[in-house]
Amino acid sequence: MNSSAPGRQLVRPCTGIYLALVLLTGVTWAIGRAGLSGLGVSLLVLALALFKGQLIGDWFMGLRGVRGIWRWVIIIWLFVFGGLITLAFVLTYRG
Amino acid sequence: MRSRMQVRENNPISLEQGATAAAPADALHSYPPGDLVIWIFILAELLVFGIFFASYAFTRLNHVPLFNQYQLTLDRDAALINTLALLTSSYFVIRGVVAAREGDSALCARWTWAAVAMGGVFLVVKTAEYAHHIGAGINLSTNKFYMFYLSLTFFHYMHVILGMVILTAVALKAGKGGYSSDDHVGVETGASYWHMVDLVWLILFPLVYVMR
Repeated sequence: MNSSAPGRQLVRPCTGIYLALVLLTGVTWAIGRAGLSGLGVSLLVLALALFKGQLIGDWFMGLRGVRGIWRWVIIIWLFVFGGLITLAFVLTYRG
Repeated sequence: MRSRMQVRENNPISLEQGATAAAPADALHSYPPGDLVIWIFILAELLVFGIFFASYAFTRLNHVPLFNQYQLTLDRDAALINTLALLTSSYFVIRGVVAAREGDSALCARWTWAAVAMGGVFLVVKTAEYAHHIGAGINLSTNKFYMFYLSLTFFHYMHVILGMVILTAVALKAGKGGYSSDDHVGVETGASYWHMVDLVWLILFPLVYVMR
């Protein structure tokens, strides 16, 4: 069945993405568990979260296969609010 | 606002094929998977959560010692379990979507029920966290950190419940053979909403539990 091909093609990369998300979540948790703090650590943790968000948007939500503004909505959201959070933390450490 | 049915009339090729993530790189589509209306809803939800996140970060700016002190009272292990539960649930949803696209409605139902169960794990763990806080006399007016923590996470908690209701409706219909390789928009619609719930938590978890 031709209709089955796209589905099967989706499973393997999404399984890989899922495992990567689990791994990155483990890294974030370990940083928290270790009690690490500071601007660099916070921005690293945020960067990991934004990267994970992009993986969710691209692969799980299927936006990498969409053109136009819909392709970018999640990325724009991550960029805008990730940027605001970054600004707040930078101001915290520079204030 | 255009519904998917209206879009189908205007752009039959893109929607008949569906905007699958597995499509070849050169086969881009005009609209994301699922009903277009759910995407308008998703964008509105993301905007609200985004403002909430930014408000947390900028409020923290003036209360760093307080936020850092009370952040340590949160259970990061529970947050880890909840993150893994949502990620696993999202993965199960994808398997359900794939099964529906392949025309296996019964398999779609099984994957979707598994996703609902993982959502249930999230609710149980989060409810236990709330019970612990309430037992310790913590509420919205305790301090600014707890005001944000409780309102942000409970707002998300309500979205998990709504997502589980949607996925349950999808699973029930799939169990009755309600989806086929030609008609599975409902599964993709529910999946898109559930992934949004997952996406929001992936930002909330490090912001509230880890970053300091």
